[in-house]
Amino acid sequence: MAESADHITCQEVVALVTEYFEGALEAEETELFEQHLNFCEGCDWYVDQMRTTVATVGRLREEDVPADTRTRLLAAFRDWKHQ
Amino acid sequence: MAQLGEEQRTAGAAGDEAELVARLRAGDEEAFASVVEAYHPTMLAVARSHVKTRAVAEEVVQEAWLGVLKGLARFQARSSLKTWVFSIVVNTARTRGGREARSLPFSSLAAAEEQVPALEPGRFRPAGEAFAGHWQRYPADWSCLPEQGLLARETFDVVKRAVEELPDAQRTVIAMRDIAGCSADEVCEALEISAGNQRVLLHRARSRVRAALERHLDG
Repeated sequence: MAESADHITCQEVVALVTEYFEGALEAEETELFEQHLNFCEGCDWYVDQMRTTVATVGRLREEDVPADTRTRLLAAFRDWKHQ
Repeated sequence: MAQLGEEQRTAGAAGDEAELVARLRAGDEEAFASVVEAYHPTMLAVARSHVKTRAVAEEVVQEAWLGVLKGLARFQARSSLKTWVFSIVVNTARTRGGREARSLPFSSLAAAEEQVPALEPGRFRPAGEAFAGHWQRYPADWSCLPEQGLLARETFDVVKRAVEELPDAQRTVIAMRDIAGCSADEVCEALEISAGNQRVLLHRARSRVRAALERHLDG
């Protein structure tokens, strides 16, 4: 954490952003983090970029499973059903 | 505000999951296909982080699916369906063992993987200067980007490639969290890693994918 307890730097915001999202920061750290975002447009944008990144990775779930894999697994499911 | 509505999501999911399990047990193919679509790519990432080659990982996942079907009757919802499925992948990968296993267990992979900082130190003012540790130049405001830029197929491909290129432990954790939608606890349980370890891997993974997006979007 910061050497001074009354603020954190932009570099620290970047390092702590996941812990912030995960709710893993102490109450005091959370307060310093949010205080920083209120005053620093750059960090506010960075945190927004991380949120956008998470959402964009989430879109990979639209990716299709290869057709042959799908067919093979469904066949296994049918076999299992008839046992 | 910080969390992404985890509790509500889990509460809603519990009921849906009981129904899903019931449909699977009843032999509902559509339910099975939806589970395959939702979990298969992430199962592959999980397997890949435990064995040496992609080919073996694919066999492990195939075997794990058979294990899931066999175990379905006994599944007791002590953990979530997801955690259970991914644990089966981990256990299947481990029993392969021998020459096919990685030389390092998953928990050590995290420490062994290269540690790239979330952002190059050069993005911040150096120590000793006024405003040390503050931005040299602000990152871009992505909320100003045209919506189609983020939704474009090209952007999707950039993110897909960035995830594929991550070191194995990072790829596994980001796939479980952000693609398969597992909670932090579910990841820790299935992979048998600590909460701190999970966060470090997730942080590195998301930071690297963000950097790839930045190179693409801000060119």
